[in-house]
Amino acid sequence: MLDAFLLIGLPYLAITTAIVGSYWRLRAHRFSYSARSSQFLEHRQLLLGSAPWHIGIFVVLLGHIVAFLLPGVWKAILAVPGALVAIEIVGMAAAVLSLVGLSLLIVRRVTSGRVQAVTTTMDLVVAGLLLAQVAVGLLTAVQLRYGAAWGMGTAVPYLWSLLTIHPDMTLVADLPLVFKLHLIGAWLLILLLPFTRLIHLLALPLSYLWRAPQLVIWTTMRRGEQPALARARADSRREFLKGGLGIAGASGLLAIGVSEKAVNFFKGPAPDGEAEAMLLQKKLVRLQLSAEERALELERRRSTFIQVARQADLSEVKGHYFIDYDMAPGLAFKGSDGWPIVRSAKCTHLGCTVGSEIDAQGRILCPCHISYFDVRTGQPNAGAPATVPLPEIGWALMDGAGTIMARKEPGQPIQGASDPMPLAGCTLFLTKPADRG
Amino acid sequence: MRRQSDVATSFCRIVTMCAALLGACTLDSPPAAAYPEFQRSILKTTARPVNCAFCHAHADGPEGTAPGQIGRLSAAELAQLGQARAALSPDNHATSPILNPFGNHLLNRLGKKRILELRLVPMELASALPFDSDLDHDGITDRDEYRAGTHPLLDTDGDPWKLFQYNFWKNRTSLILTLLATILGLYGLKHLLHGFAFASGSATGDNADRENDR
Amino acid sequence: MSRTGSLRQLGNFLTGRLPVEKMNFDSMVRKKEVPVHRLSWAYYLGGLALFFFLVQVVTGLMLLFYYQPTVSDAHASVEHLTAHVPGGGLVRNMHSWSSSMMIASVFIHLLTTFGMKAFEKPREITWLTGLGLFAVTLVLGFTGYLLPWHQIAVNATKVGLQTIEEAGRYLPGEMSAWPRLVRETIQGEASVGQATLSRFFALHVIILPFAMAIMLGLHLLSVQLHGMSRGVDEPPRRREKFFPIFFVRDLQVWGVAFMVLFTLGLCLPFEALFSYPLFEPYIAQGSTPDGIKPEWYFFWIYYPLEILPLWVLMLAQMVLGVVMAGAPWIFRDTNRRTLRLLAFAGGLYLILMTFFGESIVHLVKGR
Repeated sequence: MLDAFLLIGLPYLAITTAIVGSYWRLRAHRFSYSARSSQFLEHRQLLLGSAPWHIGIFVVLLGHIVAFLLPGVWKAILAVPGALVAIEIVGMAAAVLSLVGLSLLIVRRVTSGRVQAVTTTMDLVVAGLLLAQVAVGLLTAVQLRYGAAWGMGTAVPYLWSLLTIHPDMTLVADLPLVFKLHLIGAWLLILLLPFTRLIHLLALPLSYLWRAPQLVIWTTMRRGEQPALARARADSRREFLKGGLGIAGASGLLAIGVSEKAVNFFKGPAPDGEAEAMLLQKKLVRLQLSAEERALELERRRSTFIQVARQADLSEVKGHYFIDYDMAPGLAFKGSDGWPIVRSAKCTHLGCTVGSEIDAQGRILCPCHISYFDVRTGQPNAGAPATVPLPEIGWALMDGAGTIMARKEPGQPIQGASDPMPLAGCTLFLTKPADRG
Repeated sequence: MRRQSDVATSFCRIVTMCAALLGACTLDSPPAAAYPEFQRSILKTTARPVNCAFCHAHADGPEGTAPGQIGRLSAAELAQLGQARAALSPDNHATSPILNPFGNHLLNRLGKKRILELRLVPMELASALPFDSDLDHDGITDRDEYRAGTHPLLDTDGDPWKLFQYNFWKNRTSLILTLLATILGLYGLKHLLHGFAFASGSATGDNADRENDR
Repeated sequence: MSRTGSLRQLGNFLTGRLPVEKMNFDSMVRKKEVPVHRLSWAYYLGGLALFFFLVQVVTGLMLLFYYQPTVSDAHASVEHLTAHVPGGGLVRNMHSWSSSMMIASVFIHLLTTFGMKAFEKPREITWLTGLGLFAVTLVLGFTGYLLPWHQIAVNATKVGLQTIEEAGRYLPGEMSAWPRLVRETIQGEASVGQATLSRFFALHVIILPFAMAIMLGLHLLSVQLHGMSRGVDEPPRRREKFFPIFFVRDLQVWGVAFMVLFTLGLCLPFEALFSYPLFEPYIAQGSTPDGIKPEWYFFWIYYPLEILPLWVLMLAQMVLGVVMAGAPWIFRDTNRRTLRLLAFAGGLYLILMTFFGESIVHLVKGR
C-alpha cells in the first residue's frame, strides 16, 4: 500500500503540482521565475561550488534524460563495446563532482553571514534534499553496478508506464531500497519545484551562450580597472571557455569512437590457434621457397651441369622455365628442327621475366614494357624498349648413363650427334659458362 | 615406429614424383584443368590483367610443384582432385585442392560440364553465376566482379567507384562521428588559440583585421 | 688571407640567414604577418605536406607493431595486419593514401614556392632544405614501396635499381663498372632479396625519417624567422596576423585534409586502383604479372625513359638539379611573372606525364 502511494500516487501528485504550481508562479510572481543570485555578496566560493555542481549535475541529468526520452538511441550507444564502462565512469565522476560542488555550496550558505541574509528555509531544504538525492544515486550506481544497462528494463519502462497513464509499479517494486529512495527523492524534488529556487530549471539562460557580453565595470577607485582591459580579459575568458568546450566535445567523441579501436589495434586480434598455425605454415612455405632458391644458387656454384627437363617434355608452344647460372630465369623450348632452344628469360631491357607462351609469329612477350623476342634468334622486335637480344644459354643432352650426346655453347654450332630424333630419351642440362671457372 | 614413418615418407615421395611427372606430361597437350579462354576474354573485354589465381589456388595455374599446384599435393588431396574432376554436374560438393574458393564455387554451382561448354562463350559465364552471390562481401557481386575482371575473393579489389559507394554507406556512422569530432576539435582549437592570442596580447591592435576575417 | 676571408664570408652568410636576435617567440610567432593576395592559398601547401608527414609518422609507427621485414614474412604479416588486426586495414590504407597525398602536396609546394620566388635572399636555406626534403620524400616513397614484398613492389624496385646500372654504358673505362657497384651496394646482393629488404626497411623506418625531421626543423625555423615571402611583385594590399588567424586557418585546412584522407582510407582500398595480380606475394621463380609500373610520382621520369635515350634524361636531370639548387643565385633578377610561367610549364609537364604519359608514349612510338 505504501509502495503504491510512493511509486504511483506520489508521482502523479508531484507532476500535477509541478505543472499547476509553475503556471501559478509564472502568472503571480513573474520576476521570481529564477534563482536568486548571491554573486554580489560572495563570489569566490560560489565559483568553486557552483561550477562543479552545475557541470556535474548537467552531465548526470543528461544521461538520465536521454535514457528516458530516447531509449532507442541509448541502447544503440550501449551496444558499442566499451561504451557501458565509459558511461559508468563518466557518470560516477560527474556525480562525485556535483556532490563536492553542492557540499561547498551548502557550507557557503551556512557559514557566510552575507549569504545567510538572503537564504530562505526552502533553499536549505532543497539543498539538503539534492545532496541526499545525488548521494543516494551515487550509492545506487556503486552498489548496483551498470545501472545504465539494467535501468533500461526497469526504471525506463516504469517511467513510460506513468507517462502513458498505465502505471505499472511491479517494474520497480522489487528493486533494493536504495534505488526506491532515489525514485522517491526525485518525485519529491519535482513536487517542490514550483515553490523553490529550483524553478530556475525552467528558465535556463541559454541565450547567455551567444549573446554579447554585458560587463559590470566598477568605477570606484578600488576596482578602477580600465574597461578595455576588462573587456579583453572577458573576451579571452570567453574564447577559452568555447575552446575548452570544443576540445572537450571532440575528446568525448574520440573517447567513444576511437579509443576502443586504438586499444584493439594494439591489443591485436583475439588469439586464434588455427589462424596462427596457418600463418606460421604460410611463412614456413615461403621460407622453404627462399631456402630452395639459396640451394639452387649453391648448386649452380658447385656443379658443372644443371638438369632442366627431359628432352621429350619440351614443347614448341610453351617454354619450360628454369633458373640459369646467373640465378635469373631461363626458358627451354623445342625448336622445329627438334633441337632444344635454351635462352635467358630475363628481359634485356629492365630485367623482368619474359612470358613462356609463343605467339603465332614465334615470339615471346615481356609484359613489363612490351618487347617481343623471337625465340629462334632472341632478337627483340623493331621499336621495342629492349634493344639487346635474349642471350643464348649453353646446354648439353645427356643419356641415362650421364654421357653427353650433344652440346651447344652460345654462338657455336651443335657438337656431337647430328640428328635429334634418337635423343628423345635424353635429358637436357645447362652447362656452366666458361667464365665461371 | 621409425620404420613406419620411413615407409610413409618414401610413399609420399613417390606420390609427389608421380604427380610432378603428371604435371610435366600435361604440358604438351592442352592442360585438362586450366581454361585460359576465360582469362584471355576478361583481359580483352576489361583491359585489366588477370591471372590463373582468379579461380586457381596458384597464380601460375595448376601445373608445377609450388604450393597449390599438382606437384605438391598429398595423396589425400590427389584423391580429392580426382573427385573434383569427375564433378560434371552441379551440386557435387567437391573441393578441388588446386582451385580457390571461387573456382570451387563455380564447380559446385555450374558443374564441370557447363564450364566446359562456356569456354566457347566466356563472357556468358557471368550470367550463369548466381545473381546474389558475393563471396568477399565487398558489395560487388561475383557476377559483376567477373565482368569487371576484379577478384571475387578480395574485398580490396573491385570497381573503385562502386567499392567507394558501398563502403561509404557502410561506414556512414563512423564518418559522421569523425566529421563531428573534427569540426568540434577545430572549433575548440580555434577559440583556444584566439584565447591565447588575447591573453598574450598578440591580437590587440588589429581588431579591424580580425573582423574582416570572420 | 683568402681562407679567413671566405670563412668570414660564410659567417656573414649564415648570420644573415639565421639571425639569432630574431630567434624568440615574439618575432617568430607573435609579430609574424602573412601577406594577403591572390596567391595566398599557396601558403597553406607546406603546412599540408607537414600534416601528411605527421600522419605518415603516426600510421607508420602503428604499422611497425605488426610488420616483419623478412622475405618470407613480409607479405604474410601485411596480409595478417589487413585481415585480422582490428583497424589494421584502415591504418595501412591511410598510410598508402597519405603517402600519395604528401608527395602530391610536396610537388605543388615546390612549384608554387618557385613561382613565388620564395627562394629570394634571405630565404636560401629554406629553399635548399626544401629541395632536400623533396628528395628525401621521393626516396621514402621508393623504399616504402618495396616493403610489402608483393609482385609490383619487388619488380618495380628491380626496374628502378636497374636504371642506375644502365648509366654505366655512358661512363668511360673503369668508371663504367661504378653504377653496377652502386646498385649492388644499395641492394646488398646480386639481385633484389632479403638484404635489399632489410636495407630499405632501415632506410624507410629510421634513417630517412630522422633526416627528414632534422631538415624539417631547419626548414620551419627558417620559415618562421623570415616570415612568408611576399609572393607577388605588387606590394600586398593587406597583411594578416600569423598567430592566431593564419595558424587557425592552417589547422582548418588540416581538418579538411584529414577528413578527405580518412574517408578515402575507410572507403577506397588503394589496391582497388590496380589489378590484383600485382599484389600477390613475390615469387622469384614465377612469372612477372602484367602492368608493372613505378608509383605515379615517378611517371615524370619513367615515361620519358621509354621514349628518349637514357643519357638525354640523365643530362636533363642533372641540369634540372643544378638549376634548382642554384635558383636563388641564377634567378636573382628574374621577376615573378617569368618564374610563375616557368613553374606553370613545369606543372603542365608533370600533369601531362602523370595522367597521359602512357598515351604519349604510344603516340610517339606509333603503337
